[in-house]
Amino acid sequence: MNKRLSRRNFLLSLASNLTLFTLCNLFLKKRINAKSKPKVLIVGSGIGGLSCLNNLNKISDVIDIIVIDKNKNIRTGPLSNLVLGDIISEDKITFEVNPKKYNNVKFIYDEIKYIDPDKKIVKVSDDVVVNFDFAILSPGVGYKDNIIDGYDPYNKELLPHCWDGDSDLKRFKKELNDIEKKSTIIISSPDYPYRCPPAPYERASLIANYLKKKKIDSKILIFDSKDSFTKQENFLNEWDLYYKNIIEWIPRQQGGKIIYFDNHNNIIKNEQGNKIKADLIHFIPDQKAADIFSQSNLLDKKKDWCKINPVTFELDGFDNIFVLGDSINAWDMPKSAFSANSQARVLAINLVNKILDREFIDPVFLNTCYSFSKENRAFSITAWYRLNADKDRIVSLGSSQSSVNSSNLVRNQEAGHAFGWFETMVNDLFL
Amino acid sequence: MKKISVYFILFFFKYAVADNSVSNLIVENCTSCHNLNNVNNKNIPSLKNLSKKEFIKIMRQYKDGDQNNVMSRISKVLTNQDIENLSRIIYDE
Repeated sequence: MNKRLSRRNFLLSLASNLTLFTLCNLFLKKRINAKSKPKVLIVGSGIGGLSCLNNLNKISDVIDIIVIDKNKNIRTGPLSNLVLGDIISEDKITFEVNPKKYNNVKFIYDEIKYIDPDKKIVKVSDDVVVNFDFAILSPGVGYKDNIIDGYDPYNKELLPHCWDGDSDLKRFKKELNDIEKKSTIIISSPDYPYRCPPAPYERASLIANYLKKKKIDSKILIFDSKDSFTKQENFLNEWDLYYKNIIEWIPRQQGGKIIYFDNHNNIIKNEQGNKIKADLIHFIPDQKAADIFSQSNLLDKKKDWCKINPVTFELDGFDNIFVLGDSINAWDMPKSAFSANSQARVLAINLVNKILDREFIDPVFLNTCYSFSKENRAFSITAWYRLNADKDRIVSLGSSQSSVNSSNLVRNQEAGHAFGWFETMVNDLFL
Repeated sequence: MKKISVYFILFFFKYAVADNSVSNLIVENCTSCHNLNNVNNKNIPSLKNLSKKEFIKIMRQYKDGDQNNVMSRISKVLTNQDIENLSRIIYDE
């Protein structure tokens, strides 16, 4: 009798807690198969993982949720270039989850060693093994170490890439701060796909802004592995307005692809064989899915990104393991915090649908991405996404961006929108 | 490319009207920027700062206008029916 009651309570509670998705109108005729509460494990408490948690938290009294991340303090990618550019301080993008917000959730702060998809366990350390019914993986990105001869993105001796929450922003800022005379800075921009496509150009802009304010005559050369980039017209226009003769963009076909790095002499060599010396060389590494996927044999070592089902986010070939965020190939969707946040909404509701053996909802996603060219000047790109007719890929309904000739007022408003979005998101997820 | 976009937008319209769960998901995505809790955010207002009537009026202005702002671009794919559906979810449910 108890089992019957608890199952009934479970179903009713699920339904009543998911009113946003109109589950309250359902007749839950189909019985859930689980004999006890389903155990959901979330790996990674960045934007993707926490967004899933935030959605599933509405029903945390009827499912067991465990979150694992090696870091208790989460530093966001969004706005991190403003920290490097000395516009905001690092504490403005560093957060700790408020435990009261997630009362029924267990948090483990440790590094994952291995995920066993058959036994449905995650090995955290020698004496900690966590089992799960459903695992949601949102571990961010990994880095390719074979693109530039002489450059290893995992080498801590080199200038940090600052492309994730582990990188040392303070050290990068110190290197920038130490520049006191006329300098040449090289920034390498990776080949697609990578996390936050406009960010290398935003970073170049904000470093230029920082040095300009310090009245240091500098030249920033962006060596690009691509021949075009997102928001290109907007960036080029901003550079013409504020960083003329400071920022120079070198597309791949004009020698932008770096193939060799001489760390001792601070010299790079491009595809065409030209050698260029600089005072500061900053590599933004080429990227791939986080290392945990290949370490756990969840991803063929020859493949860079996880293939998922775009309706459920289930990892191709692995039952009840779901992946979202920057490690997946999301087709037309770029790798961004906004994208991960939007994907999490679909993943969470369709995970509940799967638990209840219900029909999946048809996904709708949104991405809006702001970039700054200096303090109080920003511009955006936005797009809605749905699935194609075969329902096997995510397709854009058409992206649109801010006008190149936007007034000061509009640039200023968009900077406000960027801060406003960030504030809403971190309030929602962390505080 | 333009043709493809138009096709998808039409597909979006049709589908959005037919399926309320799509409207719910659109509202969910609105809340990425606009909270529904009346929490004070000086840059982006809570949707609950508006009345249902104001919301419909403003959204139609965004959709039909040719303004250079992000809300205008986000609203372009919505139909009037979509906006009605969103307003019902946000203000009546």
